[in-house]
Amino acid sequence: MPFLSDHLLLLSILAPLLAGVAVALAPKAAAKPLACAGFGVPLLLALHAWWYFDVVPHDHGYAFLTAYPTGLTGLGIALKLGLNGLALPLYVMAAVVGLAAGLYALQSGAERLQGYLALLLVMHAGLMGVFASVDVFFFYFFHELALIPTFIMVGMWGGRDRHYAAMKMTIYLTLGAMLSLLGLIALYAKSGANSFDLIALRETLAAKPLDGAWQHRIFGLLLFGLGTLVSLWPLHTWAPLGYAAAPSSAAMLHAGVLKKFGLYGLLQVALPLLPLGAAEWALPLAWLAVAGNVLVIGFVAMAQRDLKQLVGFSSVMHMGYAFLGVACVAAAPASGAGQAAAGGAVLLMVAHGLSVALLFLLSTSIWHRTRTFDLDAMGGLAQKTPVLAAFFVAATFASIGLPGFANFWGELVIFVAAWKFSPLLTALAVAGVVISAIYGLRAAAKVFFGSPTGAFATVAAAHPPADLRWAEKIPALLLLAALLFIGFWPRAISGPLNAAVTTLYPAAAAVAAVPAPAARP
Amino acid sequence: MTMLQHAILVLLLPLASAAVIALLLRRAGGAAAFVSTATATAIAMIAVILAVHGDRFEAAMEWLRLGGFRLTLGIKFDDLAALMLCIVGVVGLCVHVFSLGYMKEDGAKARYFGGLSIFMFSMIGIVLADNLFMIFIFWELVGFSSWVLINHFHEKQSASEAAKKAFIVNRVGDFGFLLGIIMCWWVNGTVNFSALAHAHAFSTAIPLLLFCGAVGKSAQLPLQVWLPDAMEGPTPVSALIHAATMVAAGIFMLCRIEPLMVPEALNVILWVGAATALYAALCAITQRDIKKVLAYSTLSQLGYMVAAFGLGSIATEHEGKAVLVAAGVGAAMFHLTTHAFFKALLFLGSGSVIHGCHHEQDIFKMGGLRKKMPLTFVTFTIGVFAIAGLPFITAGFYSKDAILHLAQEKNTAVFAILVFTAVLTSFYMFRMWKLVFLGTPRSDEAAHAHEGGPSLTLPLVVLAILSLVGGYTTHEGTGLIYGDRFKGVLSLIPHAEGWSVVAMSLGILAVGAGAALLLYKSGPVDSLAARLPAVFLGLHLVKESFDTAYNYYVAKIQQRFALLLGALDDILIAGVIVRGCATVAELFGLGARALHTGSLHTYVWWFLGGAAALWAFAAGWFH
Repeated sequence: MPFLSDHLLLLSILAPLLAGVAVALAPKAAAKPLACAGFGVPLLLALHAWWYFDVVPHDHGYAFLTAYPTGLTGLGIALKLGLNGLALPLYVMAAVVGLAAGLYALQSGAERLQGYLALLLVMHAGLMGVFASVDVFFFYFFHELALIPTFIMVGMWGGRDRHYAAMKMTIYLTLGAMLSLLGLIALYAKSGANSFDLIALRETLAAKPLDGAWQHRIFGLLLFGLGTLVSLWPLHTWAPLGYAAAPSSAAMLHAGVLKKFGLYGLLQVALPLLPLGAAEWALPLAWLAVAGNVLVIGFVAMAQRDLKQLVGFSSVMHMGYAFLGVACVAAAPASGAGQAAAGGAVLLMVAHGLSVALLFLLSTSIWHRTRTFDLDAMGGLAQKTPVLAAFFVAATFASIGLPGFANFWGELVIFVAAWKFSPLLTALAVAGVVISAIYGLRAAAKVFFGSPTGAFATVAAAHPPADLRWAEKIPALLLLAALLFIGFWPRAISGPLNAAVTTLYPAAAAVAAVPAPAARP
Repeated sequence: MTMLQHAILVLLLPLASAAVIALLLRRAGGAAAFVSTATATAIAMIAVILAVHGDRFEAAMEWLRLGGFRLTLGIKFDDLAALMLCIVGVVGLCVHVFSLGYMKEDGAKARYFGGLSIFMFSMIGIVLADNLFMIFIFWELVGFSSWVLINHFHEKQSASEAAKKAFIVNRVGDFGFLLGIIMCWWVNGTVNFSALAHAHAFSTAIPLLLFCGAVGKSAQLPLQVWLPDAMEGPTPVSALIHAATMVAAGIFMLCRIEPLMVPEALNVILWVGAATALYAALCAITQRDIKKVLAYSTLSQLGYMVAAFGLGSIATEHEGKAVLVAAGVGAAMFHLTTHAFFKALLFLGSGSVIHGCHHEQDIFKMGGLRKKMPLTFVTFTIGVFAIAGLPFITAGFYSKDAILHLAQEKNTAVFAILVFTAVLTSFYMFRMWKLVFLGTPRSDEAAHAHEGGPSLTLPLVVLAILSLVGGYTTHEGTGLIYGDRFKGVLSLIPHAEGWSVVAMSLGILAVGAGAALLLYKSGPVDSLAARLPAVFLGLHLVKESFDTAYNYYVAKIQQRFALLLGALDDILIAGVIVRGCATVAELFGLGARALHTGSLHTYVWWFLGGAAALWAFAAGWFH
């Protein structure tokens, strides 16, 4: 099917986009099937891309590389789509989370469902586009395409405090996006490539790197711009609040996928192009990530009473590990440890995307049974809903890095790589696994075990909560299966990923980092 | 099938069983029990086949490679793994069979047996692992299975709390363990056990960090607090996971990394083990709950094993040459083996008692069960004698003596501690034995106690036999059950010669048991509390000290710190900084508004300034 292979990536963007438009205009009866198709087609295409990734021809490390003229040739902008080993795992993850979020939205019974689904589909199109873009301009454009529906969904379909949350999210994320845009434009202007094409930028800058001062400035802009989008401490306060207010499917897509835009941008664009500038930011970034995101936010998460806020804070915390990975790459890109850190960060991004989406999904399912997010007003739910409890426990253990789930590999690889950078920071970061176990298991226990507390006891007695329905179970199973699949078989994504990180960050002197072991005394 | 395929099969079978139960048999408790027990039977058979066949092999495959990081999964099947696998297989099968009867009425049988299967998978993974990363993976997974099974009666607040505590405390230990593994990886360039034994750099930090893992998993001081609480789980689980196998994984892991040990690290390990042995024995004396007595006794025996390992090697003559024998490994593994048998026996015996007494666990409400439950009485008595070390006929005598002999050779102070602990052990065990089985029933439950069905009694008989013969490791005795199969481990056991050892063992037994039998009356009150209240209170405070300190830390320090940070996050960052930025932006807005004067004249000047700036930028003045 040459047509499919040639235009696969474009189709995966257009399908949800067109479906979104169609859903908005179509009669009510046709809306749900159309939306299903819009969410499902990208996953089929993404699985196709994943399955044939090693087989199809590669160009500069990119498979499925195609360029569509945009008429902006003078500015060096073209819709250039392609996947390298770094983008592929995230692209597939976006498709999986997108389908799960879509299916969950279909059964949510939200008011003005058509509008909600249409916005989700547009957002999904943006997400697929972000990871498929080789052109930096469109990389940014697709992010905005996904971001704007988020604000609208939070503001219109959100829960408590939705207007305040939507406002705060908009201010933060727009500011972050603007800083990033400034950085990207500066990169474009200073590189002299006269092109937003990432491949051209790479080649130009490899031949003639920017001078250190400009690298430092531009990387700083990108770091804090993109960092805001990923809730780098202390620019994180929009996240827990926004997610707590956001409707569940929007939270799943944003926390799961869109948030990874920033990290992906750092790994795919900023770090390979600005190695000298990155190196100077490595240490402050690592400290912000470990002391701020992991430790401070870890403790803050422990103090939460609201389930959804807790999931939001835990998501902010886990981004700290990914940032630590980025810092390790920044410190020593051309080394085995740096490459490992990049790979670990991507693994963690994929895993976190799946697990945080699952947690948001299940939190909403819990709310439908308890009518509250207050952890102190629940308890004993497992007696009534054992399947929901099993899913939540699985999601919790996934997010606290239990082996067998994808998250474990990400954290492990980052910890190993970080030791080379700084044993002290590694030790502090590893302490985070204790913290996340504390708040994760505490939440599971407060919701599901013991006996019902507070007002919930009477509610549960009067209206015994029903267990997870199939409509909720299918999206949850989709996410859980993906987590377990990567957890048991990390090679499913590590092959292309390893190829990508070793090309993007070519090691100067291949292995040789390990000293010869001394004989036993 | 090759032996390697057997080994892979024995690892994957329980995983398949757990998957089948989770996916298909959630509502079919009986079928789940059958699948899980059939799997356990197959595991035990394959374990014995693997051990008897005699093939010892290693194989590995790459599982993940990213940049400079490479992780392999592999199987190292040597005598140590073979021995441990047989223990896990045999005790696991006994516990599965016992569970068939014990959990018959349970409403969530499928979850229970699924949990047992996932535990068997994780535990066998530890046993077969050929490198530290792989052991860590399964290390975490046994922690998870332990959480699932402690949490089995999840409607009980206490069970849920205990499961949480067990997992978190273990994670504290794993914090050090993981750092040790990572450090080992960078310092030595490998984490493969065979490669490490071959060559490695000198380091004290690595073995000590790795030991943290054992401190958590094997519940050594100061992380011992989770194990007594873990008794909230069903009793067969306590027998399998929290007595015979999982908690012993720490000792197994230490034996795997023995080549990395340096004297300073061994010294720390030795004292941690000895302190745990003594501390837990003191705690056991005041317990009223039959399972808690056994839990503290497990802690104490684990301390024994850790101390044995810490005693290290001894120099002996072999064919005229002086050689170092890793006697610590031999003694620790030997005691691990016999302890697995007699402690599983005692726990299952207590399960039989609890089952017979309609879920009464207070030993002061029992009594007189000797006549009501004769088979349980006989097998339990064998267990008590084994743990107390009755010479010649029980397995515990041989393994405990190996440790005491080694301690006598290496460290007098530790020897004294361990002997005193041994006296305490027979003291609290005979206290419990007397209160449970002798005298007259002190409650309705005990008066109407009855023996359970064959699935409850058969495992007791099997384990009782193993507790008797499990100590005959050498050909001088009878190489009855081990033969030459595990020579790589059993040849390391230090053997004491002469009658002084026997005399010492008899002395320990007589003093401890005699004191207990004399002191305690078969009555509803604790005789020690009645006669020596100060001693009783002291022991009680010793037991409480750790929990009090930790609870204080969690409630008063950690949680308050978390709340404080939460408030700061809210106020400082969300409030002051963000509000501050908003104010700055507003000021900019005010400024910008001020610029919009509405006067054309002003705008022209602004236009000129802007054009000049653009020109300057284009001309490269700002570069």
